[in-house]
Amino acid sequence: MKPDNLHDRAWARLTDAARRVPPASDAAAPHGFATRVAALARAGERAGHSLFERFALRAVGVASLLAVASVLANFSALSTWPVEDEQIAAGEDLVKVLLTESE
Amino acid sequence: MAGCLDRVRGRDQDAARALVDHLYPLVIRIVRSHLPRRVAEEDLAQEVFMKMFTRLGQYQGAVPFPHWVSRIAVTTCIDHLRAQKRRPEFRWADLSENEAEVLDAVMTSENDVPANDAMAAHELVHKLLDQLKPDDRMVIRLLDLEQKTIAEIGELTGWNTSLVKVRAFRARRKLRKLFLELQQKERT
Repeated sequence: MKPDNLHDRAWARLTDAARRVPPASDAAAPHGFATRVAALARAGERAGHSLFERFALRAVGVASLLAVASVLANFSALSTWPVEDEQIAAGEDLVKVLLTESE
Repeated sequence: MAGCLDRVRGRDQDAARALVDHLYPLVIRIVRSHLPRRVAEEDLAQEVFMKMFTRLGQYQGAVPFPHWVSRIAVTTCIDHLRAQKRRPEFRWADLSENEAEVLDAVMTSENDVPANDAMAAHELVHKLLDQLKPDDRMVIRLLDLEQKTIAEIGELTGWNTSLVKVRAFRARRKLRKLFLELQQKERT
């Protein structure tokens, strides 16, 4: 017989014997376990909701407002940007271009 | 069960307690079978139930609720097993006298292990399993100790059947290697 088969058979005999050991019988939940777990689950649920309500929705609102405001405030600069880009590309002095524009 | 789940979803504490009490035997049996070293079974059971409550909204009823909870229990155990550091190399000296006798007997004779050595065989099996990678260990435990089918293991773990077979193959190869090493060490 191949050694692999010998080892497989040894393992099978071991597991057969191991299965004969009866499982631990105290299957009922310890006193207070269910109450503790249910209370922890409820507490976790509350914490999750309150954190979301406090931060997530407000943060989304504030971020949206800031995004709109920043686009509005910089709209003129954004719309003229390609012209500036061309001037820089043409080898003009950037400081001179900006000073001329501000005048 | 469906009525109880509806009440739990409606934040009924009594229903939540009843659900935990009802499912505890199922969860603790899985936890005890796959309990990682140095993790208290009650802590792990509690973690399983916390996940169950957190994910209750995701339960669609496609499988019976106890199956769904079993899967949570198995995957929680796998996560803990993966987080563990591997055990140091297995040595003949790690075995008790009784375990060594049982190991010697199964490797040298074709006789079944006597009934009074079942506990030693049980301990020995778990020491050998501890040498496997967590995922492989889980597959072999479910296959050889709990006598689940490949399909049942796939359902419990979420792994496809090919992956389960590959893990079983890899685990058996490692077990053969362990037996061989132990035999060689015993001779020396």
